Amino acid sequence: MPFLKTNLLEEQEIIAGLIARDRKTVEYVYAKYSKALFGVISRIITDKDIAEEVFHDAFIKITRKIDSYDERKGRLYTWMSNICRNSSIDKTRSKEFSEKRKTNTIDDYVYGLESQSDTADVVDGIGVRELMDTLNEEQKFIVNCIYFKGYTHSEVSEEFDIPLGTVKSRIRAAINALKKKVDKI
Amino acid sequence: MDIQSYILSGKLELFVLGELTERERDEVVATAKLYPKIQEELDQIEEAMFNFDNLSGAAPSGMVRSKIFDSLEKDFVSQPQDKTISPSPIQEAQTPVVALNPWKNYTVAASLVALLAIGAAIFYANKYSTVEGQFSALVQQNIQLAEDLQTNHVKTESLDTQMNQLLSGNFERVFMKGEGLPMQGNARVDVFWDRSSQEVLLSVNTLAALDSENDYQLWAIGADGPVGIGIVNPNDKLSLQAMENAGDTAAFAITIEPKGGSLQPNLEKLVVLGEV
Repeated sequence: MPFLKTNLLEEQEIIAGLIARDRKTVEYVYAKYSKALFGVISRIITDKDIAEEVFHDAFIKITRKIDSYDERKGRLYTWMSNICRNSSIDKTRSKEFSEKRKTNTIDDYVYGLESQSDTADVVDGIGVRELMDTLNEEQKFIVNCIYFKGYTHSEVSEEFDIPLGTVKSRIRAAINALKKKVDKI
Repeated sequence: MDIQSYILSGKLELFVLGELTERERDEVVATAKLYPKIQEELDQIEEAMFNFDNLSGAAPSGMVRSKIFDSLEKDFVSQPQDKTISPSPIQEAQTPVVALNPWKNYTVAASLVALLAIGAAIFYANKYSTVEGQFSALVQQNIQLAEDLQTNHVKTESLDTQMNQLLSGNFERVFMKGEGLPMQGNARVDVFWDRSSQEVLLSVNTLAALDSENDYQLWAIGADGPVGIGIVNPNDKLSLQAMENAGDTAAFAITIEPKGGSLQPNLEKLVVLGEV
């Protein structure tokens, strides 16, 4: 599903609608992106209440900061997901949060999804487990650090003493593997 | 440029993860525009990220959704109002056009009338003031004319009387002159004398004005010597001044005497003399 390519025009309309503070556009954005964006946050933050709080603030930030968006920040979704990711990382590094040290691992995350009663989530959770199974240990580690713990690539390099170039190529390899897997689903 | 090694460097992934500096980001955007293959790779990574996020995530609860839209409600405020309510103000505005406009018109009309009235009031006030000024000037002029008329009437009557006197009587004209006398060489006064009725009239032609302490006195000189027959007004020129009667007279003369006249003439101040 090459939605990004086919929907380039649609994306321009969405941006224009957001700038115009059009309710219909915001409702559309929520319907289309909320699950993925909340996924970005809840991967990093285990506590559902805190994750939803962060998502609330991040989504409002997205609608209000749309003026600062430009192509240098990637596609609209890339920009939005980075706001969510950065908000989550900021939260995990806040004083109240660091006391609990409640960051996820892949296993925590998948377990968390499976324990939820919502069947749709469980189906998605199975998807994640399947996706992760396609990665080798090195790639899993990188994805775990970057996707689930909210590390930056240079932090991974420093913390685990892995050369920066190696971190980069592993990120690429992991995303490439996920890309292939996702295309098959 | 080696496109493949650029793709393999992992830079595009870091771009999508938002982990590049501003300068590096600009470079990626510029490079992607230059090489369609790199743009395609970038699109695929972004797509994969979305798909992964979309598949792996659990949907946020309905609670969050309503909270978000509650928070955004004030952002939308202008929008839904414009869309849903905008047709009705137009309809409302059309109906009152009938109801409101007459009042507007009346107000405008009333204002105009008031303005015109004020303008007219000022105009006529000015005009009244001007006319009043002109009127009082005319009244003044009229009074003046009436006075002049009265004066002229009196004058005419007096002239009439004098004329009647002159015409009905048998007057001799006696020319008195200052020529050859030391006082006023150019002085000329005429005396009209009726021998039978002894009446004397006098007309000043040229006679110098006197100070307030002296008077001109007319003398009738007969066999008994000079007799004073009245004071002459030097300013009342070319009209007949009635003097006292004079009997048998050989000559008339005028001298300057102290105020009120004297019993005997001061011949040193003889002004004019005329023999009958």
